Amino acid sequence: MKDLADHLFDILENSVTAGATEVKVILDFHNNIFFCEIKDNGKGIEGEDVTDPFVTSRKERKVGLGLPLLKKTAENTDGFLRISKLKGIGTSLKFETDISHIDAKPFGNLAKVFVDAMRSWPEINFEVSIKGGKGKNEQVLNTKEIKDTMGFSDIRHKEIQDFVYKSIDKELKRIGINTQFGNF
Amino acid sequence: MENLEELKKMREKVRKELDLRNGKHRIKIVVCLGTCGIAAGAREAMNTFVELITSNNKTDIKVATSGCAGFCAQEPIIYVYVEDRAPVVYRNVNVEAAKEIFASHILNDKIVEKYLFSKGKK
Repeated sequence: MKDLADHLFDILENSVTAGATEVKVILDFHNNIFFCEIKDNGKGIEGEDVTDPFVTSRKERKVGLGLPLLKKTAENTDGFLRISKLKGIGTSLKFETDISHIDAKPFGNLAKVFVDAMRSWPEINFEVSIKGGKGKNEQVLNTKEIKDTMGFSDIRHKEIQDFVYKSIDKELKRIGINTQFGNF
Repeated sequence: MENLEELKKMREKVRKELDLRNGKHRIKIVVCLGTCGIAAGAREAMNTFVELITSNNKTDIKVATSGCAGFCAQEPIIYVYVEDRAPVVYRNVNVEAAKEIFASHILNDKIVEKYLFSKGKK
């Protein structure tokens, strides 16, 4: 994983694999602290420490590195990774990382993550909100709303993707996240 | 979400183009997007294929995704299913490889040996 964007995409993939149909993401960035919360309605993993690399739900092999790597990325910068079960069904994952820390990973292209997610899993409803510190929560993506507005369920089209990319990127820049940061 | 009006404006055009695209697919490209694939840059490969399909105006090619294929050291791995042909698996598909595979295998039905992982049944 070379940047936070890769990590984020990986968690979204976890949600999809867990059978989620709705995935909600909140991104926050202020005072150099990047916070991300992902809530889904997937089946989750019960009673096991998923940040242990030798715990995985996959069948192909016996190790799962996605969450252990994210934990390391967060904790290397005095951040954290917390995973909890939601009431009823679903899982919540929160992680925080200090982007000014010497061991921090660069953001990467975060807006692209959601465009790629829409492209990879068109049947999942993604909701993305962005807030900067105490500022208001700005919803930048709601794929269900796009589907309703367009009147059809397949939204894998370049013009829609460009539209989504633009509106997310604008909001990310507003709270101070840009892809250039830490890009070597 | 702001600017839903902007979306409405493109609705008719997008619908027409999607109808055209949602016919029968002759070729299916499956990109493995497990943790291993993502870390190895599979998203870039996927985007390269999608861009090439759009820029070549191909409506009968579909890009799909799957999880880990079980050969993590060989990621990014892609499967190419061409109608009436045995499936072909490519390994180490970076952006360069994706371009080569598209030009040779997808457009001209010639397998790129350099990135070949396996042929025939999975």
